[in-house]
Amino acid sequence: MLEQSTKDKITSDLLRSIRLTNSFKAWMAFLTLSLFVCLGAYVYQLNKGLVVTGLGDYVSWGMYISNFVFFVATSLIGMLISAVLGLSGQKWATPLARMAEIIALAFAAVAGLVIVSDMGRPDRLLNVFIHGRIQSPIVWDITVVTVYVLISTLFLYIPLIPDLKICHDKIEKLHPIARKAYKLLSLNYTGSHEQDLIIKKLTRAIAIFIIPVAFAIHTVTSWLFANTSRVGWDSTIFGPYFITGAFVSGTSAIVIAMYFFRTNYKLQEYITLEHFDKIGKLLVLVSLVYLYFNLNEYMVPGYKMKKFDARHINALFTGAHAFLFWSVQLGGLIIPIILLIFNKMRKPLPLLIIACCVFVGGWFKRYIIVVPTMEHPYLPIQNVPLNFKVYSPTLVEILITIAPMILVLLIVSTLAKIIPIVPIQETIEELEESHD
Amino acid sequence: MAHFNKAFQFKTRSIIVLLTVFGFQLTAQNWDVPADKKAKNSYIKFDKTTASEGEGIYTKNCASCHGNPSKGNVLKSLKPTPPDLASSGTQKLTDGELFYILNTGRGLMPSFKDVLSESDRWKVIAYVRSFNKSYVQVLSNTDPTKSDKVKVTMVYNHETNTVRVQVVAKEQNTSLPLKDAEVLLFAKRYFGKLPIEKGLKTDESGVANFVYPKDLPGNKLGEVELLVKVNDEVYGEVESSTKLKIGIPTDKPGLTQQRAIWGVLAKAPYWIIALYLLGIATFGVFVLYLVKNLFDFWKKGQQ
Repeated sequence: MLEQSTKDKITSDLLRSIRLTNSFKAWMAFLTLSLFVCLGAYVYQLNKGLVVTGLGDYVSWGMYISNFVFFVATSLIGMLISAVLGLSGQKWATPLARMAEIIALAFAAVAGLVIVSDMGRPDRLLNVFIHGRIQSPIVWDITVVTVYVLISTLFLYIPLIPDLKICHDKIEKLHPIARKAYKLLSLNYTGSHEQDLIIKKLTRAIAIFIIPVAFAIHTVTSWLFANTSRVGWDSTIFGPYFITGAFVSGTSAIVIAMYFFRTNYKLQEYITLEHFDKIGKLLVLVSLVYLYFNLNEYMVPGYKMKKFDARHINALFTGAHAFLFWSVQLGGLIIPIILLIFNKMRKPLPLLIIACCVFVGGWFKRYIIVVPTMEHPYLPIQNVPLNFKVYSPTLVEILITIAPMILVLLIVSTLAKIIPIVPIQETIEELEESHD
Repeated sequence: MAHFNKAFQFKTRSIIVLLTVFGFQLTAQNWDVPADKKAKNSYIKFDKTTASEGEGIYTKNCASCHGNPSKGNVLKSLKPTPPDLASSGTQKLTDGELFYILNTGRGLMPSFKDVLSESDRWKVIAYVRSFNKSYVQVLSNTDPTKSDKVKVTMVYNHETNTVRVQVVAKEQNTSLPLKDAEVLLFAKRYFGKLPIEKGLKTDESGVANFVYPKDLPGNKLGEVELLVKVNDEVYGEVESSTKLKIGIPTDKPGLTQQRAIWGVLAKAPYWIIALYLLGIATFGVFVLYLVKNLFDFWKKGQQ
């Protein structure tokens, strides 16, 4: 058995971050202010219509939908870390599970809002539910995103119950309402063996259930593209291509989160160098799989160069989008893979920098998937003005695209302030198991 | 490759020939409108209402090449370039000339005679004239209600395999067969109408006989909807349609009548409905399972 003093130390270490600090207030004030600036841009768009964006008859899915795909992609990390690694007995990932679930929940919940930003008349959103055709991938998408948000919430909540009880019992200076909320949410948890068994059972059940749901959410997102007959999208491997790409962005997101929580919350003992090393290796693995899918996705049409495909491929390889395309492939995928093979590069700081490149590259990769295809229709409109054919986002559009990212930061920061970011109960249990 | 080259050469040659012909016609600016047609006037008054109705027809049928009048956004890639209809070149033509051009078409411009009704064609001209402030209309004294008196009958003769169209005007107590009226016969399709033979002229008993093809598909009962368009100098335009059992019975439900991916929600394929509901149900059962267990969990803590 573990000594009580060790347990107390772990508990107090992991609870230390749950208090309002001045730096947290400043950070939240900064985020809120930035969000308001972006919301101002959105109000402007709402008044004037989508004409204030660079969207037009050709490119009607620009940054907004690229953003949506990226958000859905990143949200898959919860499933990868908690479900896939958890079920396969990778104990080292335990301290990262909650972080992954928080990121997943934040990105999935905000993804729905991102879609609304692409609507000129968001007041008609309800029509999707009233008049939606279940033959349409858009309805499937709305369904699975909703299901995934609900399941992710439960996946975060159920393993959290023992920690909520700890919060209720152990945090000293706590507002009575907050203490009551912790009590209410811990559902009469007493620490009994029976209750622990239920939590274990349910966590496992969700871990299994969330895998097909997560696959569904991003496969359906890929079908929004692949189910239309357009160059660059008309592909049978779009589902797995999107899923593997999602693991890349998600893993890079969790590296960034790990680094900041580790340094800001002083969690060096819990999120160790070994974690960075292992997550770095995971990033190499998922990136290699994604690279393989990229090779297929561009090699096959690039070899055949069918008439319309050729225009698209040329625009990507040597034409207007070449700089972005090669920057994303090299800077966001190939160079990170090569670097991460070296031990030194899997230390926290170098890994953070590489993960940032992969994360940003991941965003632009979605842009590369969405925008160039829309610029190359099978049946071009006659005599269209040039600004229809070449998409260039406006400032308003960029601000509205940044807003969801700020919202995610707000959600993650808030959640990390009210619940322990590293699971307390599970960390203690695991230590006990390794002692026994 | 040789095949492609030949095709290409042929295309290039035909384009050059076509261009030469059109180019010549363009410079000649000569539509050769007969004097009587040139003097024809509209029985429809050109006002705000008819012009705005004409605008709708114009947008659907004309704007793709002629652009928006006065905006100069005509389809410049066509040779000869279609004129902007607000331009003085067009506006100096008489109503009769415009009507004639609309009826006959030339080169790349199709004839609208069978596409738009006479009144619709005049409304398009009403719209075009609305861009000319100095235009003053001269109304035709044709009585548009005269065409109401015309009766059209269609009879199919199995032996000769012909459709006999008879056009008669009922004037007070007498029936007056219309001689030399233009008659066009169409079979209605999913989209548009199929012309049966070329247009004919009625004989002195007001009759035109169309040879009817034997292989046209009909509906489930073998019915084909025939449409007759009559154009008479005196009585104007008349349209009439009849359903006759003269086609091959065909049971092909329309594309939107079957359950299909592209249908409305009520026409969704069963397999999609089943899969979708199965997915929702699975999720529902799973949530119930979680809620039940959490409830047990909560109760255990109370004890």
